[in-house]
Amino acid sequence: MKMKFCIEKTVAAGGRLGIISQAGLQGNVNLETPLCTLFTKGGSAPHLSIDMLRRVAGVPDIAVMNIGSLADHHESISDFGKGLAEFTAMKKHLIFSTLQDASAAVFPGKNDKSGVAVWGKGGKIKLDTTLYMKIQESFVPDWFQALSDGDTDKECGPKRLTKSVDRTLDFLDEVLEKKEKSEVLKNSSLIGVIEGGYKEWHRKRSATETASRPVDGFLIEGFEKGNSQKDLFSDPDFTKILLFTMQHLPIDKPRIMETVWSPLQVIKAFKCGVDIFSSAYPYTLAEKGFALVCDYNLPPRSQPARLELQNASPKKDESRELYIDLNSPRYFEDFSPLMNGCQCYTCSNFTCSYIHHLLNTKELLAYVLLMMHNFHQYFDFFQHLRQAIKEDKLDELHDSLSLQITPLDR
Amino acid sequence: MAAKAFKGNNALSMNILAECSTSKARASAMTLPHAIVDTPVFMPVGTQGTLKGLVPDQLRELNCKIMLGNTYHLGHRPGPELLEKAGGLHNFMKWDRALLTDSGGFQMVSLLELAEITEEGVQFKSPHDGSQMLLTPEKSIEIQNSIGADIIMQLDDVVHSSVSGPRLEEAMYRTIRWLDRCIKAHKRPTEQCLFPIVQGGLNSELRTKCAHELIKRDVGGYAIGGLSGGEEKSEFWRMVKISTDLLPRDKPRYLMGVGFAVDLVVCVALGCDMFDCVFPTRTARFGCALVKAGQLNLKNKMFAKDFQPIDSECECSTCKTYTRAFLHTLANTEPAACNIITVHNVAYQLKLMTSMRQSIIEDKFPDFVQTFFDDMFPKKDFPEWATDALASVNIHLR
Repeated sequence: MKMKFCIEKTVAAGGRLGIISQAGLQGNVNLETPLCTLFTKGGSAPHLSIDMLRRVAGVPDIAVMNIGSLADHHESISDFGKGLAEFTAMKKHLIFSTLQDASAAVFPGKNDKSGVAVWGKGGKIKLDTTLYMKIQESFVPDWFQALSDGDTDKECGPKRLTKSVDRTLDFLDEVLEKKEKSEVLKNSSLIGVIEGGYKEWHRKRSATETASRPVDGFLIEGFEKGNSQKDLFSDPDFTKILLFTMQHLPIDKPRIMETVWSPLQVIKAFKCGVDIFSSAYPYTLAEKGFALVCDYNLPPRSQPARLELQNASPKKDESRELYIDLNSPRYFEDFSPLMNGCQCYTCSNFTCSYIHHLLNTKELLAYVLLMMHNFHQYFDFFQHLRQAIKEDKLDELHDSLSLQITPLDR
Repeated sequence: MAAKAFKGNNALSMNILAECSTSKARASAMTLPHAIVDTPVFMPVGTQGTLKGLVPDQLRELNCKIMLGNTYHLGHRPGPELLEKAGGLHNFMKWDRALLTDSGGFQMVSLLELAEITEEGVQFKSPHDGSQMLLTPEKSIEIQNSIGADIIMQLDDVVHSSVSGPRLEEAMYRTIRWLDRCIKAHKRPTEQCLFPIVQGGLNSELRTKCAHELIKRDVGGYAIGGLSGGEEKSEFWRMVKISTDLLPRDKPRYLMGVGFAVDLVVCVALGCDMFDCVFPTRTARFGCALVKAGQLNLKNKMFAKDFQPIDSECECSTCKTYTRAFLHTLANTEPAACNIITVHNVAYQLKLMTSMRQSIIEDKFPDFVQTFFDDMFPKKDFPEWATDALASVNIHLR
């Protein structure tokens, strides 16, 4: 069964409200877009056992598992014989197998014509398409991306970009050929990968060539080397090149970006036409001891958000974010939850003071609790995002979030 | 929980439900302000107000009734003032069942090179700001009163188990003097039960003297301290037995710092009721899972293709969810593995205790001990000390 993407409504320059139907090997899952996937590390939600993940509301139906930390174990997974979803005890989720860890930087200069490097526990693993497809066969993913060389950024010149686009297309052809012959993978959805850095000519070639092949969706990468931790939108060229890329992709297939994005950045990317996002952002915040505290209600219901609105300074600095830093001594004696009114497990049980203490003493539970809260908030954001689009309130949501931006904790 | 009628002035009462007709093992219900604890009991250690990556709900689901906090750590961070403002440690960490705190003395001596012990208390250099600090019996109790645990411990003069001679004797007598200061300083006796600690190193005369002195005081239970510090096991069990022989039957006996499965089984046979140890949770963080036959180092390659749960008979969420093979992949890379294996190891410890308790109630404890040792040592190479210790309470391993 082939997955289908239906657009219900278009917004702004390229934003789409849509439904992916017949997603997954069983063909029985519908996914509403824009959506975020469940970010995982080593086949598990970061810091969270399945038991704890069950206590988070609105967990996405589709989990992204990058190949890096799992590649070492593909023989075990192959012997196991029931695929990655069951191996990782994530049977309830569709599995989208990707190449790189969205939360991590990519080590440069390790890719060549024959293959791509990923990083496992034992160091670099060189993947050619034969090994890559062997691993995918052991995973039996619902979706998987084609092998790609996305190790490019704005600094890359035409020579590097040509290589990146060429290699990625060559990999795609090899992957397609092998997929055709594979009993195990023939029903999996294949995601083509778009490269081309910041150069229109290369983006166009990558997009049109990839779109001419039988792929089920597009993963757009090559703007930064993994998670560069900078706001791509701070460079106006990024929006331009992203929009340009989208114009050369067919509208009837979903577009995925694995970038680490805040809610505001997600809204911007959505407007450009991105449908599927990663949830690596809440993870990267939790790792720093940060908690997401935006109020997505229109108008905001929470007291702090209202206060921020009243006191909003006229100059909006987009590099500031919608989180609080629980490492800050100001939370030492704060017995309120991370966010008033938040229904998440963490806020229903624990205080800022306790989480500050856990961070201060480097206790594992700090990351468990922050992860649960941040996931809850981020997943909730996507609910509100879809709702806002349905109700023609996307700009309102964007403005409300912009006004809630708090000064960075230092 | 509604306050029960406690015997005497103590916030603890123990109801012995069964005694083994062969050994000194017993099963009881120990009523504390926040829980009725079934003994024998293993108390997981939540040093800094959290049990290593687990939330209280997970512990409740494992039927854990009591856990430990460490006064030394909590006294530093977040500190007694904050804990009082938070409404005590129970409220701060959202654990509504029973808690026990140690006195802080053990950490001073084991963690701090520069600790100096005088009659006044333990003088030490703060590891945080380098300033000189003094932990007196009064101060320890004051902090423990702020933390608010159900059971609190006296400050004792801990010496390494290799120490003998006048220093050991001094420590024993000082421990008794400090106990009296602790009792006097204790401000919440109806809410928190103070345990004295039997000291005396590996000297049976000193242990006997110490126990005799302690039982003259009106306390709710007793701890046996100064052991499990790397001494010979043959000496360890004898010191435990001397202590349990002298301590009153109707009060709980807490053997501090003991938590290896074999030690637990032997010391339950010797009449101990309560145990704590960081080992099960610490070893979990290194990827080791506890099973009947010992432990599995899940990082080892031999588990890469082992698709069974850690223990197919275990009821914990880890064993119901994950295979050894997946945990092998996770244990090498992801912190989530620590939490997942910790759940199992706590479940293992608690299950071991409830199995012992059940066998005591059914008066089948010697059979349990035999089965336990057969599982742990399939080649019948039982450690000599354990065989001797069990024989001293009439359990003869075959």
